[in-house]
Amino acid sequence: MTPSPFDRDTSALAGRCAALAGLGDAELGARLLRATPTHENRPDGVLGTWARTAVEVGRELADAPSPAAGVRVREASGGVGAGEIVLAEYHHRSSEVVLRGDALELAGALVELAGWEAWFPPERVREAAVWHELAHRMLHGAPSRDLRRRLDHRVAGAGRFRLRGHVAGADEVVAHTVAHRRSGLGRSPMLLTLGLAEALPYTSAGRARPRPYPALLGG
Amino acid sequence: MGIAILAVMAVGVVLMLTRKVPTAFALTFLAVAIALLSGASLLGAENSVAGTVMQEGAPMLAATMIAILLGSWLGTLMADTGIASTLVRKIVEFGGERPTLVALGVFCVAILCGSITGSAPAAMLAGVVGIPAMIAVGVPPVVAAGTVLMGIAAGLPLELIGWQFLSDAIGVPIETVRHFQIRLFPIALLGGVAYIVVEMRRRGARHAWAVRAPSAPAAGSGARDRRARRGDAPWYALVTPLVPIALALGLHVPIIPSLAVGLLYALVTTVPPRQLGERALRTLYQAFDVAAPPIALFIAIGMLLSAVRLPGAVSALNPIVAALSPSGPLLFVLVFAVLVPLCLYRGPFNIYGLGAGVAGVLVSGGIYPTPAVLGLMASYGQVLGVSDPTSTQTVWSAQYAGVRPERAMASTLPYTWVIAVGGLLLTAFLFLR
Repeated sequence: MTPSPFDRDTSALAGRCAALAGLGDAELGARLLRATPTHENRPDGVLGTWARTAVEVGRELADAPSPAAGVRVREASGGVGAGEIVLAEYHHRSSEVVLRGDALELAGALVELAGWEAWFPPERVREAAVWHELAHRMLHGAPSRDLRRRLDHRVAGAGRFRLRGHVAGADEVVAHTVAHRRSGLGRSPMLLTLGLAEALPYTSAGRARPRPYPALLGG
Repeated sequence: MGIAILAVMAVGVVLMLTRKVPTAFALTFLAVAIALLSGASLLGAENSVAGTVMQEGAPMLAATMIAILLGSWLGTLMADTGIASTLVRKIVEFGGERPTLVALGVFCVAILCGSITGSAPAAMLAGVVGIPAMIAVGVPPVVAAGTVLMGIAAGLPLELIGWQFLSDAIGVPIETVRHFQIRLFPIALLGGVAYIVVEMRRRGARHAWAVRAPSAPAAGSGARDRRARRGDAPWYALVTPLVPIALALGLHVPIIPSLAVGLLYALVTTVPPRQLGERALRTLYQAFDVAAPPIALFIAIGMLLSAVRLPGAVSALNPIVAALSPSGPLLFVLVFAVLVPLCLYRGPFNIYGLGAGVAGVLVSGGIYPTPAVLGLMASYGQVLGVSDPTSTQTVWSAQYAGVRPERAMASTLPYTWVIAVGGLLLTAFLFLR
């Protein structure tokens, strides 16, 4: 039997996960955006609107032709670092998706703890991880411009001229929605993502944080 | 006796490298040991450990320490009022889909932060929002860390605190420091831009399904809440980092008043009048926390400089250093270019450690013209400020980006080495012809 990665009493964590499971996709998306740097000061209403739009765009993009041709998928460890978990990554230059086995195992442990097995079977989660990264590949050119237009975040303008700004994190909401639709998971991977964020303080790696002054009196 | 002093210095390097003794304490012990080996008496008005090294050496860099405190205060204010995070946010909004553009924007913010304050506080100022924002738009983590570090180092030649330190430590007028640093700046700027463009082309963008631990309530959370209520800093406050530089460079205003005017500008443009006093005092007290590590270091460096300038130390070390030091501009550039790695890992050419002592020996022995020692140390400063995996800013930036400091060193060293060689060539051209 694999030892549990959680080294603290997890009863509170189970409660938090249950609360998250009660949220809809747009609410989960808004929470993801809230955790994205540059959105710390945004009103909830703005983030909610952006999240709804991104979920819509993700649902439409999920029906687009598959971009999997030429993409290599490999598995490696090293996904659980200090204060951060990386489940999968996509490298544009090499067109390679890397699945992080140790992080996916941690996600599996959380799924078991929260009683989400029916929503997140392990093989489907792996499939979702690949689709998440493929969605980033899809979000280039026209789909990216369409997302920017529909989010309609005006950063400057005069009269009819308007300059729309980039909304950091909206592409993540789109990618999770594509992964949800394509992999056939019972719930959006955003739920798993937010659950993992709650679970990090219950693991030794998750509690580790960079220290500002590692050398006591160093320059 | 010179050999014994060099042996003691080597022991000091080992102590710092192995982290057995914190750098500031190791430098203090070194200063006392060098003074005793040089024949200095324990007590006495002249050439003594207590009088010359401790009493006169400890406050030798006092002007630098005040500049550090003011720079830290300005940095704290820029974090507290959201000036730095607003700059990063605007960059992401304007350039979000183009990771290289966002990295170049954060690089510019890091230059501004590096020109105000140094070390880990500067990295945090630009990196707390800048590093995750870059990673979120697809900049690989190691390049995100390197971008902030290269930016801070590119800001170093404009950092008024650095001018004051080099002037005090090496004994050259501020005008000489300014003359060299302004010419070093384009080299560092070009090196930083090359790093971002080449590394982004080489590695390409990277996206990840990643989860970060939610920010724990900390000392800064109150500031975040206040900023959240206020929103972004106004556009005219965003030029705050340029105010001290413009005054010092354009109008030749001395360093401390330039920083003070920058502080005043940041306060007036971001804080309602009725809160001015309270906010100014609170951020000043916070700045003492930020400034404590470098001030402790500079107290120790002052004592080390006093020790290596003792007549006994000069006469003991001069023949050895004169024999080892390359003569002529070409050899100067070649030899010191090869020796660049000796400023890493708290090595003997680290100006914020034993390098200050080495600079003192080179100056007091008259091996090179004093401005050439300034050029040498400023050029090495470009390497250790970015690539030294034991520097606080490197450790913090790398860890915050989720990579090991050694990876940040491997990624940036080829570029910082070239920048250092550029600085050495500039030194030879300006001061050794």
